[in-house]
Amino acid sequence: MSIKVKNLSFVYSPKTPFQKIALDDVSFEINDGETTGIIGSTGSGKSTLIQHLNGLIRVTKGSVKVCDIDLTAKRPDLKRLRSLIGMLFQYPEYQLFADTVFKDVCFGPLNFGFSQSEAEECAAQAIALVGLDFDEVKDKSPFELSGGQKRRAAIAGVLACKPQILVLDEPTAGLDPAGKREMLELIKRLKGDIIKTVIMISHNMDEIAEYTDRVLVMDNGKLIKDAPPRDLFSDISCFNNTGLKLPHTVNIASILKKRGIDIGTPLNINELVFNIKQALDGVK
Amino acid sequence: MNNNLNIDNIITINNASVIYQKDNLITHALTQVTLEIKRGSFIAILGRNGSGKSTLAKLLNASLLPDIGEIFVDGINTNDESRAFDIRSKVGMVFQNPDNQMVATIIEDDLAFGPENLGIPRAEIRERVDWALKTVGMYEHRLRATQKLSGGQKQRVAIAAVLSMAPDVLILDEATAMLDPRGREEVMDTARKLNTEKHMTIVLITHYMDEAVCADKIIVLDEGRVVTEGTPIEVFRQVDLIKKAGLEFPTPAEAAFKLKTLGYNIPVVLTDDELVEALCQLK
Repeated sequence: MSIKVKNLSFVYSPKTPFQKIALDDVSFEINDGETTGIIGSTGSGKSTLIQHLNGLIRVTKGSVKVCDIDLTAKRPDLKRLRSLIGMLFQYPEYQLFADTVFKDVCFGPLNFGFSQSEAEECAAQAIALVGLDFDEVKDKSPFELSGGQKRRAAIAGVLACKPQILVLDEPTAGLDPAGKREMLELIKRLKGDIIKTVIMISHNMDEIAEYTDRVLVMDNGKLIKDAPPRDLFSDISCFNNTGLKLPHTVNIASILKKRGIDIGTPLNINELVFNIKQALDGVK
Repeated sequence: MNNNLNIDNIITINNASVIYQKDNLITHALTQVTLEIKRGSFIAILGRNGSGKSTLAKLLNASLLPDIGEIFVDGINTNDESRAFDIRSKVGMVFQNPDNQMVATIIEDDLAFGPENLGIPRAEIRERVDWALKTVGMYEHRLRATQKLSGGQKQRVAIAAVLSMAPDVLILDEATAMLDPRGREEVMDTARKLNTEKHMTIVLITHYMDEAVCADKIIVLDEGRVVTEGTPIEVFRQVDLIKKAGLEFPTPAEAAFKLKTLGYNIPVVLTDDELVEALCQLK
């Protein structure tokens, strides 16, 4: 397995009046090849959890193992860990800093000890991979790019380091509908081609339903559900107090069910339409 | 004062264009926009990134002046610089990131900042702050630190801070983009309540189609031009135009279109409940 988290707990500002339990006895395993969604309201512990995965927060209670790196060890190889896990934070366009896109994307690989020519090669590949025109953007300032392009440039900076696991914190937040769609399709494509495992945090239930194989639901620092999206959304009893919503497709299905029409748990628009058609034709 | 202005309109935009010039490149951020916003209405502005939504919003409170054309806010021409403060006290804005909009560490201090700067007497400030916090449902939190709030709560405090200036128009510029589902709902409920109960004019700029469907009128911008405006039904009925403008349909509307092309007799619907209702009629 590629990631193993066991009995992980974390407390911010322990033994002070501001003490806050951010993670409370969280255990799960993520296998190679999975796309895992993490959902939960603000403050539920999602970001704290993923910061443990690449050693930004050190394990204080419980254990975390990523590939063969044990993060509870006294001196885990953090450099190798961070080259294995590419981490994309919220609004990653704000972490662009160099004076050209090319230099910005080269920064990661150079710091992981790639030679200048290796770094440049990786950067060029990564820029093409995220769907930017290398010749057009390489000498531009990252700040001249549009919002969606900036975000893709930031992803290129992570991909240039050749990670095996990609962790994305709200990759579509703030993008327009076309930008959202492009970003999700990009993640899907990367997962097939060069990334083994994807973990993404999202507040958008529609994209969680459509793009993930498995969903972890966080609530008040606890992992309250770990299931494939269809199982998760067909039994929503655990959602009641979390403030989470159903994807539109599932919500439509659940209202239809109350009216006596059962169309199952459709996870995307095509399933929804297909299932409705079947239900309508069935009664004709 | 322009005598031709319709007093039912809180905002009138006459043929406004905004042109950015960089090096030798001239970009039209907005081209010949003419719009009327009725007092007490709920307007949604849709369009892809770079379509001119935020530029348009900035014109509405004189943060930006048009290069051509004019904008009237409650009868005042925004080109009249001596009236800029009057205009800004009539048109309040809330942006995407509430953290960028907070100035004080305690919630009620944050709200008092605006009216204090207007030189309003202390007793009235107290009244306004209390009213604004009660309106957004944050009164019981008034002594808490702004840092300790959830995203939706912060955004509601940001709205309250604008309300404490007693504006006629509230502009929400992608104000729900950073929020979780509960936070989004809190902000949208607050906006709807201000509109229906306080008759405040709301201008909602958003990338979420399902937020736009509750508006009285949707304005769609593309490449700096108004490409259509009308009720949500009138707008989302124009399938080709919506796609061309880089937008998408609310899920129930898209499902209805797809079923229609499959031969089912389904009208244009905008909400999950409407779709279910239409399907039950078919049975």
